[in-house]
Parts: sequence; C-alpha cells; structure tokens
Amino acid sequence: MKELVTIQVGDFANYVGSHFWNFQDELLGLAGDPNADSFFKNHDLNMDVLYRTGVTQQGILTYTPRLLSINMRGSLGSLSSHGTLYKEVTSFPSDVVTWTGKISTQACEPHKKNLFLQRLYEEEENLIVTNDTSGSSNGSQSEYQDKDIVESLENGVEFWTDYSKVHYHPQSLYELNGVWMDAEDFNNYGIGKDSFSWDLQGEEISDRLRFFVEECDHIQGFQFVVDDSGGFSAVAEEFLENIVDEYTNTPVLLYAVQGHRACTSLQSKKRTVLEDLHDAVSFSRLSSYSKLIVPLGMPSLSKGKVSKFLHIEDEKHYHSSAVYAAALHSISLPFRMDPIGPTTPASSVSGAVDLHGVIQMLSGQGRQNMVSILDVAIPAPALFGGQNEQSLLENLHPLTPQIAEDVEDMQGVECLTVHGAYASGSHRASVSQVKDAVDAAFQCAETNPMFYHLSVALCPLPIPLSFPSIFGNQVGQHGELMGGPITNSSSKGSLDVYSIPMAARLRSSNAILPFVESRLRNLHQFGIDRGAAGAQLLRGWGFGREDLEEMEEMLSKMVATLCPPQLSSDSD
Amino acid sequence: MSLRVLNPNAEVLNKSAALHMNINAAKGLQDVLKTNLGPKGTIKMLVGGAGDIKLTKDGNTLLKEMQIQNPTAIMIARTAVAQDDISGDGTTSTVIFIGELMKQSERYIDEGMHPRVLVDGFEIAKKATLQFLEKFKTPVVMGDEPDKEILKMVARTTVRTKLYESLADKLTDIIVNAVLCIRKPEEAIDLFMVEIMHMRHKFDVDTRLVEGLVLDHGSRHPDMKRRAENCYILTCNVSLEYEKSEINAGFFYSNAEQREAMVAAERRSVDERVKKIIELKNKVCSGNDSNFVVINQKGIDPPSLDMLAREGIIALRRAKRRNMERLVLACGGEAVNSVDDLTPECLGWAGLVYEHVLGEEKYTFVENVKNPSSCTILIKGPNDHTIAQIKDAVRDGLRAVKNTIEDESVVLGAGAFEVAARQYLINEVKKTVQGRAQLGVEAFADALLVVPKTLAENSGLDTQDVIIALTGEHDRGNVVGLSQNTGEPIDPQMEGIFDNYSVKRQIINSGPVIASQLLLVDEVIRAGRNMRKPT
Ligand SMILES: Nc1ncnc2c1ncn2[C@@H]1O[C@H](COP(=O)(O)OP(=O)(O)OP(=O)(O)O)[C@@H](O)[C@H]1O
Ligand SMILES: [Mg+2]
Repeated sequence: MKELVTIQVGDFANYVGSHFWNFQDELLGLAGDPNADSFFKNHDLNMDVLYRTGVTQQGILTYTPRLLSINMRGSLGSLSSHGTLYKEVTSFPSDVVTWTGKISTQACEPHKKNLFLQRLYEEEENLIVTNDTSGSSNGSQSEYQDKDIVESLENGVEFWTDYSKVHYHPQSLYELNGVWMDAEDFNNYGIGKDSFSWDLQGEEISDRLRFFVEECDHIQGFQFVVDDSGGFSAVAEEFLENIVDEYTNTPVLLYAVQGHRACTSLQSKKRTVLEDLHDAVSFSRLSSYSKLIVPLGMPSLSKGKVSKFLHIEDEKHYHSSAVYAAALHSISLPFRMDPIGPTTPASSVSGAVDLHGVIQMLSGQGRQNMVSILDVAIPAPALFGGQNEQSLLENLHPLTPQIAEDVEDMQGVECLTVHGAYASGSHRASVSQVKDAVDAAFQCAETNPMFYHLSVALCPLPIPLSFPSIFGNQVGQHGELMGGPITNSSSKGSLDVYSIPMAARLRSSNAILPFVESRLRNLHQFGIDRGAAGAQLLRGWGFGREDLEEMEEMLSKMVATLCPPQLSSDSD
Repeated sequence: MSLRVLNPNAEVLNKSAALHMNINAAKGLQDVLKTNLGPKGTIKMLVGGAGDIKLTKDGNTLLKEMQIQNPTAIMIARTAVAQDDISGDGTTSTVIFIGELMKQSERYIDEGMHPRVLVDGFEIAKKATLQFLEKFKTPVVMGDEPDKEILKMVARTTVRTKLYESLADKLTDIIVNAVLCIRKPEEAIDLFMVEIMHMRHKFDVDTRLVEGLVLDHGSRHPDMKRRAENCYILTCNVSLEYEKSEINAGFFYSNAEQREAMVAAERRSVDERVKKIIELKNKVCSGNDSNFVVINQKGIDPPSLDMLAREGIIALRRAKRRNMERLVLACGGEAVNSVDDLTPECLGWAGLVYEHVLGEEKYTFVENVKNPSSCTILIKGPNDHTIAQIKDAVRDGLRAVKNTIEDESVVLGAGAFEVAARQYLINEVKKTVQGRAQLGVEAFADALLVVPKTLAENSGLDTQDVIIALTGEHDRGNVVGLSQNTGEPIDPQMEGIFDNYSVKRQIINSGPVIASQLLLVDEVIRAGRNMRKPT
C-alpha cells in the first residue's frame, strides 16, 4: 500500500473534492453493509491509500481523508473548520481564560443546516443512542423524506459543505484569511497573487501538509486539484513550488479544474482579454511546477457529448463538479489496487499502477508531453450489443476543453480505467471479459495509441444520496442503459440510480494542441505584442517582459513537442 | 467570519461625496478597532457561522478575520497589516491614527479648506515629529550583555496588552530569555530560531521555555526507545526510502527479471545509506552508554526504520526544514545532505531525548543541550483559540524584544510620546509654517492625541480631563503618560511602560501617507474626467 495525499485548492476544487470524498465514504459504508452487493463488500481497493487512521484525545479511533483543503474564509458554510470528530473537551468551553478585562462577542448569523446535513446529524445522534443502550431502537423517524433532502440540495447548495457527508480531520480544512474580497471578485491570477502572501500563511499550510506526509510510510504522490478559474491559481502555484522543493521526488498529479463561467453573449472585450490572459498565465505557471497536468472544465458541460445520458445545469457547480469528481474517482482506482503478483482469475481488480507509473507512462516517455486529456463515459455502456453498437472507446468523451477530434497520434499513450461495466444488458462483465473487450476494441479501432494501460475493477461508482439529479431517463437503477427514446422530461437522481458503471481515461495525445495553442496565441496577442490590450494588466500582475517571454517559450515548446513535424513545416 | 464594515459602494461620486466616503470608511474602521487599544481594551470573541471561535485583542488578527469590502477600508487595513509585518506591533494605533487624521481633516474641509493644504501640513508635521522622536527616544546601550530589565519591561508592556497581567508576566521572562538564547553578537536576530510549539491540554494553561527543540512528531517504529539519555544527534536531509515506482506493467521493463533486478538494486542503495549511518553510530557509541538519534528531513521507510531500530537508533522522519537549522543551533554539529559526508564532527548532542504522546499527536523533546542558540516556547492551552491567542502574544513579545535590541532605544508609552509630540508641534513647529498649512500641522498634532484619548476611554475615564491633565504636566516640562487605573498623570519610566521606537516610527510614517492618499484620491479621478467635460 502506498499512500496518496490529496490537496484541494479553491472553491470549485472543493466542490469536486466534496463529491469525490462522498463516493469514498459511500464505498466505506457499503463495504460494511450486509445488504450491499458483493462487489461493494470485496472490492479489493485499499482505502488506506486515501484515508488515514487516527485517534482522538479521548481514545476514539477515526478514519479520515488524507486531505488538505484550502479555501477562502467563510466558504465552509455550516461546517466547522475543525471538523466534527475531534471535539475539544475543555473545562471551560468558550470562557476566555487569557483576559480578565472586557469582552465583546461578535457572532455571525449561524448558518442553518439544510435537510441533508440535519439528517446526517440525526443519524449520528441515533447511532450514539443505539450504541449506548445496545437496544434495537429504530431511531426517530424523521418527519422529512429522502426526496425532500434531494430536492433541498437541488435547490439550494450554497457551499461545498452543504452536500458533504464526510468527517474531516481538524488539520484538513484551511481557510485563507485577510483576502478581503468576495469570491466573485477573486477571479484572476493577479488578484490571487496580490492578496495572498505565502510568507504569511505558507508556513501553516506546509506544516499541515507535512502532518499528513510524515505519517505516510511510503507516499506514492500528491493528487492536487486546483480551481484555476481565478485567484487560487496563484495560491496553488506558490504551494506547488513549495511542494516541489520540499518533496522533490514525490510526483504530483495536477488537475486544473474550472467551473462554468457565467458569461453573457455581450461580454465586454476587456473581460474576455482578462479571462484569456488568466487562462494562459495560469496554465503556464501551474504546469511549470508539475510533471503531469490535466485541465478540466468544459465551457458548457450540458451541451457536450459527454452529457449524452445526463441532464446538467451548467450554472450549478453542484452538478458539474459531480461529473468531474466521478472521473477523478475512476482515475484513482488503479492507485489503490494491490500491485503484488499477477491477477488471479477470481480477483476483482486488475491493472494496478501507482501515480508515479501513470505519470511516467503519460509524460515520461518519448516526446514528454506533460498535458493529458481526461475522457469519461458516464455511465459506461455495456461492452457488447448495446443499442447503439458503439464500442466503449467511442463513448469516451473529453472533460478537457478545446480538444481536437479524430486526430491520429502515433505517439499517443492512454491509461484507461473501466469499472462496474456490464457485458450486455444487465450482466456484469468479469475482469477478463473487460480486458478482452477493450483489447479487441483497440485492435479494430482506426487509430491506435502507441501504448495503452488498462485497469479494471468490478466495483461500480456508488451514487450517494448527496449526488445531484443529473441522470437522464435511460439510466437504470444500477446504471444500465435502457432502451427508449431520450426525453428531456425529468432527470433521475440518487433515489432512482444507486450505482453506475464508469470508464475514464487519461490520454496523452496531440489532440490537446488547440488547447495549448490558444493559450500561446492569447498570451502573445494580448500580452506580448506591441500595444497588446493586456500588457498593462500583466505588468500589474507582476510580470516583466522577460517573465512573459519565458512563459511564451515554454508554451511554444509544448506546442512543438506535440506538432507532428510534417505539419509544422506545412504551416510555415 | 463576516463583520462588515460599511457597504461597498464603488460608484464614482462627486468630489465631496467621494471624500466623505473615504472619511467615513476610515472612521468606521477606527470605531471597530479602537476598543482594542491598550491593557484596558476589549478582547473580541468572533463566532463564525459554524460556531468556530476566534479570540483576539490584536488589531492585526482582527483585521484579517474581518470581511472588509469597502476599498478605502481595505487600503487602511493593508497598511496596518504591513505595519505588523514590518515592525510586529502597532496595528491598532495605525488604524486609529489614520481614522483620526481623516476626522480632523473633515472639520477643516467642511469649512471649505482644500485637502491639498492639509496634506502639505501633514508632510511638514510628519517630518518634524520624526525628528522629535529622535530626541525623545530613550537610548538603551546594548553592549555584550543587554540590559535584561529594560527588555523585560518592553516585553511586559506589549504582552500585557494581550493577556491578563499575571499570565503576561510569566511569559515576559520566557520571551526575553528566548531572544537572548538565539542572539548572536554582530548578527541580526532571526526569530525563526525560536520555535513556538503548542499542545492542547484539557485543563492547563501553561507556557514554558525549552532550551532545545520540541518537534511535533515522533519515531515511527514500535521498537524504538521513547526516552534516551546522552544522545548523539544526526541532523540530515537524506532519502532513506525506496522512491521508484513498483509498477507491474511491462511498459518500463522488458521482462520480469529485469524489473526484479531494478527493484533490488534500488533497495540496495537505500540500505547502503542506512548502513553508513549505522557505521557512524557504532563508531561513536561503542563502549559507552550513549545513544544515537537520527532526525531526517526526508522520508524513512519501514525497512530502513527496521534496520535502524535493530541497532537501537531512534529515527524521526520528515522534520520541518527549519528544524534542520534549529537542531544544529541547539545541539551543535551540522546538517548533512549526503551519507558520504558523515563524520563524528557532524553530530550534535543532547542530554535527553524523549517522546510525549497526546492522542494521535506526538512530540519529541530534545533537551539538556549545551550552549543552545535555538530554543522552543511551548504553549499549552485548553483549546485552539486560547492557544492561538497566546501564540500571537508571544510573537508580539518576541518582536518587541528584538526591536529593542536592534533599535538600541525605546519610547515612553502610555500616551507620553503622543502628548509630547503634540505640544512640540503646536508650540514650536506651527509658528514656523507659512499660511494655511499651519492648520494641517494642527490637525496632525491633534490627531496624535487619539492614542491617549482612546487609552483613557477604554479605561472608562473622562477623556477631556485626562488630556487637560496630561498637556498641563507636559507644559510644565514633566513627561507623563496616563495611569490606566486613575487617569492621573504617571511617569512611564517609573512604571516601566515602554514602546518600541521602530513601531512608533513606522506609525508616524505610514499614517499620514495613507491619509493623504485618501484625501487626494478623488482629485485624480476628477482630473481624468475634466478632460471630457462638456463646455
Ligand atoms: N500600562 C499601560 N498604561 C497605559 N498605556 C499603556 C500601557 N501599556 C501599554 N500602553 C499603551 O498601549 C498602546 C498599545 O496598545 P496595543 O498594543 O493594544 O495596540 P497597538 O500596539 O497599537 O496594536 P496591536 O498591538 O493590536 O498591533 C501603546 O500606546 C502603549 O503605550
Ligand atoms: Mg501592541
């Protein structure tokens, strides 16, 4: 077992993380549930990779994510930054023991717990009651139903904590203070750089990270999710720089995620320049501190091919983050598989690989392309005889924006994870069936990557109650795809769908070219060119001409890496 | 934690409205902070939306916890936070001083005076006040052995503004001793060499100075000793873990044997490094009863821990980077980056190393060291907000002592300096100034009085009476401040109330700069707009 430490920086990153950990929490719960399907009970996925075991001062054992989350002060809603497990037991709970003079109290309006959180709280209380009396009390019946809970989440998620059912360690939730800005205004790299000082807050942040790393016997790497739509890019950059410096040989898998940007068709030119420059700067700065960066964030997830079976409301972070989280979950499965020995036929997993291995495969080979595309099939269709006769591979669609379609890349590398897949109809496929099917699919495909790595698990993605109602009507209770016309009627959620099969893929391919090229172009046009519209803006962000040229050179190199030689001579 | 100061209102307003908005914002922030000032100030308990508690009497901490949205208020807050960053104290004074400069200006502006004139007066007054400060300050001769008493008084003055008296007094000695411990002649004082460590402890509020180092982690092997005496300390930054991927796929290796061989080779090289450490241990420990402790900045994996444990070595991994430096200063020896550099001379020494466990938190004490020049202040408190508050006070105290040593001077507190400077400006400077800028000097002088006034107000005294008594004494040539208890004039020197010279200097410097910007800012906007003015 090799530990992963997860880092989430910024609001949307925490939205994604919240769903991600809910999946894990659901898996943990199902593993101990006698009524759960067998693949949930023996999933051969080692949760210790993501979780740590601890103990409170009162001697109570805890199991919490190995996570450091960074966000703005005030972004935790009704959740205490200390979490709930490690309650402070003191003789003087809120007495002031350090001051005998006057005291004034300024209390914020307490955040009301929504129905979902109320239910969590009640369940916990009941658990304590039943434990104490060891009786068989049924617990008090809540006066509200599951459907009220689902509805309240659909209508009113304000904070990522509103739908989080996970217990966090007190070291996990770090709030930035002194930023003095609304989340909406914290919307570009320059503001982040300006209002965050690593000198003042970095020590505490790196101490917290150290807390989680020190207890790892053998850390495999960092899974780093950053909301790169605004000021948090700059925060993450400083943090990454520090990590690379401190943990030089520990690999970082960087997901740069962006939520939907509210933009009108009449968006001002100035605003567009700002956003484009932000994207260019953020991408080039972040990638200079990582070995593998995976950009995520479709401008409109609802309209993408990836949403064939989904109904997503783009403006709801609660919705879109669920999709990205599901993909991250799938990608992380091989990191938790036991690597020892060849897979036995009975095994429920295959294709273990650690974070270092994945990074090596995707970016350490040949042309060393460090940007990967994340594709996903959610839910994954059955391997054989689906109604639309498409192979699994054809159903994988990118969550990375600005991706070229139908490109041929002789040097492509792919890491694919398939889990909980159906063979046909509602028959689950065995591990070897999946392997054979995927191998066959690659064989028949018109374009093939140079190399692919396949990981398979039987365990599908569990859908917790907190999951948004984003499934279309063809998605069955266990994620099987049912016939019938695609209607727009109503979407299904966690009350109708309990689990879904998934496939997700990291792909190193020159299909990423448009993405990188547009950043290079924007940086040049708006930032470097004579009289560029954003030249002054960039100066305000602290970049001199040399810095910009350095960034430009780095992006050009990335492009050159990816350009097939004959093409580049054509365009000359 | 939202504590809103005024509504944001970024609309461009006409000149006078914009100016008044700036003034109001400055006054608003002053109102929030002024009750903090001094040993009779009010502590603020901030309760967040989820019930999280923050406790603070510190302007700096309070500002950072607030959700400030008004751009003017943000500008002032930034100045105050910078004040803390640069000199470690005086944030509250900065904010109320800026607020008061704006308030005083308002009077004149309402009477039709142009802000520019005031700003000119501020500039003159600022220069004069800084010159006056040079005369007024009390020099402190440092020499080889600094005067501990004066250092204690300075530390006590600031810490007593954050913690109740007896708690503060207990910390005073600790703080002074800590700074003296790390001080090296002819070198700038690096306060990072004082580690501040905390423990959550049910009923205890206690702080102590550990001569040596306390680390917030322990060894990771069940067989390692939890306590050892006469310890050689190896401080190192060497990877003692297997770092390669253990990938199964046939992608990296052409066959299984090749993979096995690679794995074995890598493991061997890690083992080699561990063996070199063990060799050194045997060299220095054989035939005596001493122990060997490895404190490593990099990781140590279980096989390496096993090897070390078998040899009776205690090993800690992932030490803080800064502890590499601190350890060497506390225990001697040098930090080693490669096992090839190992010699007995690299080793430091500690009389006692032991582990302390609290729930899942482990602490390792490295104590009884010889001539340490790094140390740890260990804070125990019942909950996070208490600990945080004591920590802030300790930091303030450390900065105050460092400042005193570096400034080689202190300034009489309790409002004495502000009253003296005001009298100087009014009696000596004002008459040398031509024209209406005189009024700017006067506004500045009166604004200085906000410090003694607020101190009096926070003590529940009548501010008028206090100011009259104080200025009266000063006019008679007696330099006095106010007694927080009676309001009577007292001699701060006798009472041991001293502030930092550099802190005062910084306040005098930055206050008028920001106030002037706020007074003139709309002029700039207007200049831009005038160009498009329809005729
Ligand atoms: N015993 C005392 N009697 C009267 N005045 C005192 C006494 N001790 C300190 N003071 C005065 O209190 C003021 C400092 O108060 P305080 O430390 O609360 O605010 P600050 O230093 O401006 O800001 P902060 O410490 O919040 O950054 C100084 O003017 C100092 O002279
Ligand atoms: Mg102070």
